[in-house]
Amino acid sequence: MNISLKNVSFSYTDSLDNAVIKDLNLEIRSGECVILAGESGCGKTTISKLINGLIPHYNSGCMAGDVLLGDKNTADMTLAEISRCVGSVFQNPRSQFFNIDTDSEIAFGCENMGVPREEILQRIDDVVKEFRMEHLIGRNIFHLSGGEKQKIACASVAAAGPEIFVLDEPSANLDLKSVADLTEIVGRWKKAGKTVVVVEHRIHYLREIADRICYVKDGRIAHEWTPAELEAKGAEYAASLGLRCVNLEQLSDGVAGAPSSVILSDAQAESIYETSQLVDVVELGSVEQDLSKRPTTELLVFKDLYFAYNRKFPVLNIPMLTLPRGQITAVIGHNGAGKSTLAQVLCGLCGTWRQKRKARKYGAYLIMQDVNHQLFTESVLEEVLLGMRPQNEKTALEILAGLNLEQYAYEHPMALSGGQKQRVAIGSGVSSGRDIVVFDEPTSGLDYRQMLAVSATLQKLASSGKTLLVITHDPEFILNCCSNVIRMEHGKIAEQYPLQGNQDKLIHAMLNV
Amino acid sequence: MKLDPRTKLFLAIVANSVILSAPPVYSVLMFAVPAVLLLFEKKWRFVLAFFSVYLASVIGFEYLKTMDAGLALSLFVSTMMIVSHMMPITIVLYYVMMSTKVNEFLAAMARMHVPNKVTIPLAVMARFFPTVFDEARAIGHAMRMRGIRLFSLRTLANPFSILEYRLVPLLVSVTKIGDELSIAAVTRGLSPETKRTCVATVGFRVQDLIVFVYCLLVVVCYVFLGLTGNLLAR
Repeated sequence: MNISLKNVSFSYTDSLDNAVIKDLNLEIRSGECVILAGESGCGKTTISKLINGLIPHYNSGCMAGDVLLGDKNTADMTLAEISRCVGSVFQNPRSQFFNIDTDSEIAFGCENMGVPREEILQRIDDVVKEFRMEHLIGRNIFHLSGGEKQKIACASVAAAGPEIFVLDEPSANLDLKSVADLTEIVGRWKKAGKTVVVVEHRIHYLREIADRICYVKDGRIAHEWTPAELEAKGAEYAASLGLRCVNLEQLSDGVAGAPSSVILSDAQAESIYETSQLVDVVELGSVEQDLSKRPTTELLVFKDLYFAYNRKFPVLNIPMLTLPRGQITAVIGHNGAGKSTLAQVLCGLCGTWRQKRKARKYGAYLIMQDVNHQLFTESVLEEVLLGMRPQNEKTALEILAGLNLEQYAYEHPMALSGGQKQRVAIGSGVSSGRDIVVFDEPTSGLDYRQMLAVSATLQKLASSGKTLLVITHDPEFILNCCSNVIRMEHGKIAEQYPLQGNQDKLIHAMLNV
Repeated sequence: MKLDPRTKLFLAIVANSVILSAPPVYSVLMFAVPAVLLLFEKKWRFVLAFFSVYLASVIGFEYLKTMDAGLALSLFVSTMMIVSHMMPITIVLYYVMMSTKVNEFLAAMARMHVPNKVTIPLAVMARFFPTVFDEARAIGHAMRMRGIRLFSLRTLANPFSILEYRLVPLLVSVTKIGDELSIAAVTRGLSPETKRTCVATVGFRVQDLIVFVYCLLVVVCYVFLGLTGNLLAR
């Protein structure tokens, strides 16, 4: 089914004066796979909303021009009609579900279309096989990880079998293996003659499937390339436009720019950190080697990190975790490998009361994936003061200055942009005086520039003596700022190694896990 | 043990009206039903906790109600009375909410010829509460990171701060959730005009019959004894 946008302008306000989309013309032919790329806030998500009918049927605003699906104008169709030919997957995996269990969710779209029961069951079966997600069937959606939820979302749209698929940053929370699955799924859709529109920063996984990459800037299509053309222009060109790397395999060639903060050459270390049973003194210093010649690193040791929803299947089971102090450690692994659970147990947010009490003593601070949860006061300054004890406005302002936020000190946190909000959350972590800060996917859905900004902030934080643990699926980001890598598998630590010298191993592990 | 959503609705209405109007004996007879059904759902921990709190408040109330000892005690006693009267209602509703899937509910309502315009908002509501709890937990986590807990010296010194810190962000995100849920529903084609099918099988079975008969028996018993003036346990 063709999609054509003809002279479309749209503004979320009442007038078209500062429109998000300005006089846009876009023709997407039937069976084409098109990527809409561009920096955050350029209007690419708005374009996806124009196609799936949320504009003009759900979001109010001022619109001019026509959006045609096939030969029908979306303005004349109802949302239910549009949903029969357009399937949408959204960015936020938490709120795109209408059911509480996975089976009903996959069936939901078909049920709404009035497909007979036997056929729905057949479709569910097919989709489950296609997406290789037998293990996700019959589960409670609230117990799934972000990536698993995203998979369910894709599957439930696929089951309804629309002609057009609109995906809004579907890979933001996925590990590279799930991303590879996504590639396969999109490829299959394309082969079946479906039209696929993907809004993305990360292009690498679609470079063999996509027909066109449309670069959106200020509500217009500024450039148009085929993936091969873009790749030929080189990584610097893509980065200058805020795009993520086009080919992950090129990453390992470009590791010359490895972080300078790598101090740890190997795991020899001495530790002088003790606050509770959980954090024990460990001496790993080997005798043969001359310690004075090597840079020494303190190790923080955590014991008995364990959590289970069901006693037989622990989600997390780590007898001992060591973190080099004052450095950034990346945690990688599948969706659902227990990474987020590790963060929560470490910070005393789940687990038994005993675990929680211990966690409170050494105090790790968690910056959540969705920073909106973590900001609740009237101003940025108050936000930083809240966890501080004793409260000292001067120190708070210094912390804000360190994060380039001093000019926003008296603004409402919710009025800031995503990256700024995240820095406020980081600021509140710093002010709480905790030594360990855990980040849960700080770069999901960020464009290249924002990702660089986040890694700079993190490096600054680490150099001020904090120990950072970063859960991430983003190889570019790890190569940019992390110094150690922990790979998790089935709730356990599969391996742990310093990044320097192991970049190839990392990329390999992330591509092939 | 699966009940038809219609049976659950019947149970909720009958049980709650009996619980609210009749003496405690009848309300025990009524909420025994969801308690047993919850045991089938393996929620024994919830049932155990429920019964211990319920019994404690009933016994406490019976024991203390004759005492005459100042404002503090009577406040305490009245709290226990409210708890012992209201708790049975919560267990019934908890069972109904917990065990009913959205699509089952929609299908059962369609069988009863309830128009979609009524059932869809109800379904959205049913989906809304778990999400709000999830959200509240996430906010609670964030608060704990900041060292603000429900029971701490700091909140005791300034109890209203907890309102500000927990409820305000919750309200903000609740409006957002409502919005996102409706988007999830409409882009998946849920609309009042179209006729839905359902993968879940809804229909009456033996267990539905048992629940129906049991509920009716209790009601008949209550009405009959009430009319003849021999109401148990006044």
